[in-house]
Amino acid sequence: MRRRVPVLAMMFFAISPAWAQSPPPPDQAEQIRILLERVEQLEKRVAEMETKPAAAAGVTVQAANVAAVAKPEMAQATPPPGSAHQHETAEQQTASGQMEVHYPSLQIRGFGDVDFSATDQKGTTSGFNLGQLDLHLASALSRKVTYFGEMTFNAQPTGYTVEVERSIIRYDYNDFFKLSFGRYHTPIGYWNTAFHHGAWLQTTISRPDMVRIGGTFIPVHFVGFLAEGNIPSGGAGLSYSAGVGNGRGSIISRPGDAGDNNNNRAWVANLYSRPVRLYGLQMGISVYRDKLTLPVVTPTGNEFREWISAAHIAWTKENPEFLAEFANVNHKNILTNAITNNQAYYVQIGYRLPWFEKTLKPYYRFEHTHTPLSEQVFTNQDLVESILGLRYDITNYASFKSEYRNTKRLLTEPRVNGVFFQTDFTF
Amino acid sequence: MNPTSKRILTFFWTIILWSSVVLHSPSIAQTPRAADIAVVVNADTPVTDLSLSEVRNVLLGERQYWNSKLPVVLLIRAPAARERDVVLRVIYQMSEAQFKQYWVAKIFRAEAAAPPRIVYSNDMQFELLTALPGSIAFVDSRNMRAGVKVLRVDGHLPGEKDYPLR
Repeated sequence: MRRRVPVLAMMFFAISPAWAQSPPPPDQAEQIRILLERVEQLEKRVAEMETKPAAAAGVTVQAANVAAVAKPEMAQATPPPGSAHQHETAEQQTASGQMEVHYPSLQIRGFGDVDFSATDQKGTTSGFNLGQLDLHLASALSRKVTYFGEMTFNAQPTGYTVEVERSIIRYDYNDFFKLSFGRYHTPIGYWNTAFHHGAWLQTTISRPDMVRIGGTFIPVHFVGFLAEGNIPSGGAGLSYSAGVGNGRGSIISRPGDAGDNNNNRAWVANLYSRPVRLYGLQMGISVYRDKLTLPVVTPTGNEFREWISAAHIAWTKENPEFLAEFANVNHKNILTNAITNNQAYYVQIGYRLPWFEKTLKPYYRFEHTHTPLSEQVFTNQDLVESILGLRYDITNYASFKSEYRNTKRLLTEPRVNGVFFQTDFTF
Repeated sequence: MNPTSKRILTFFWTIILWSSVVLHSPSIAQTPRAADIAVVVNADTPVTDLSLSEVRNVLLGERQYWNSKLPVVLLIRAPAARERDVVLRVIYQMSEAQFKQYWVAKIFRAEAAAPPRIVYSNDMQFELLTALPGSIAFVDSRNMRAGVKVLRVDGHLPGEKDYPLR
């Protein structure tokens, strides 16, 4: 008898899987049918919730909310008469709305920021200032033609100035060839074409000095045409952009919007790689060639050849984020053949912390710019700067940033310490 | 039977009983594996097989044309759908917030004219897939319907061992 007990136990467990998989008895089948009906009701309710305008506006429905929907008391609630029909009608309307394509289909997005700064530099005052109000327009004119525009409103002591930052019409032939005309951010390096004037898009409060808005180190804007596209290159993920335009104007921080100031066109070429196996990495090189005609004629002439060569590497994932860019600006006096080389680079590293719902991102940036004393085109732009900051994402579309900066310009000038705060957003 | 043999026999039966209990516990034996997410395109789309990195390129908006005459139309489920979770986790490798920021930046950089179209249900997804040439969507493989084309990803179809989207 004692020997039979284990044998019986083993038989019980051996048989149990077959029992578990055998067809359920009639009462269980009825329970399953009821449960399936409940599941169906729940699915309809979830679909109804997904079609609500809040979802359409991109509001994140957290998993917890879905769990709340699945509560038994809600599942048992009887749907109002005709709700299924209403749901179908709404869904059909949404689907047909998605199917219709209207041209032009204008989309407007805005960016803005409000800043506060305080430094120990003599002669400066602390205080608030309104950053750029930036409006971006994107409008498909047909399946293959799209317009992009960007305008900024800039606070000045006497009012506001409006600037057309970009105005581009682009024809897409395919992924390998897209041709556009207009005013661009010059595709030199990384930052200038990655973040444009959207402070919210960039980790830090300000752009690096070498691509500063209104700066002269590289020509931030470019008026002309640009060809761009992917290069069939397998895992290398190569892309290019190349263009011809007016180049720098008489005021060298500005392009020749209203016309070139000489008969020489500038050209730019940019080649970059986004390797397939290293998702998040971008590496690239750029060259830019122009002839500058300065408005003031000196005994050494006012015409210069300009060669800009630049390289960048960016790891755009945020754990960590790493950006580094270098540019050399070569100027050659056409009359005297005197050559100068100006260099600038920055290295920026950030890390999205895993705590507080990943809303915090500390960062550090080091910048260095060198202009030789013999430079004839640029005024001195020497800079050594360290920035230590913290970005806090208040929502998906707004952030708050705080920075400490330590800056040294000329050897004869003292170091400047400052604190900077910014709240920036997109709307 | 001597005491040592009894102990060995008791130990042996104890092991068998515990193994049976563990193997029959609901968490292991009765939990169904989540369904694979199929990559589905409009039937006329000239593609049958993509690598995972090619799917990523399409979803990132790096590849915007199937060929010169046929643009890619991206369809993505609204937040909270499992299909979207899998796409964000496996392909984009982004959180919901990062995904939204990615498309804001993509359009701002003039690299795309519009974000992916949002679909709110499976019915709507199939309606758009059949109506829009060049459309691509991500569908729970249990809910497949006729009239669309399921793509192989890295040479595998949904349900196969090494299928990457699950």
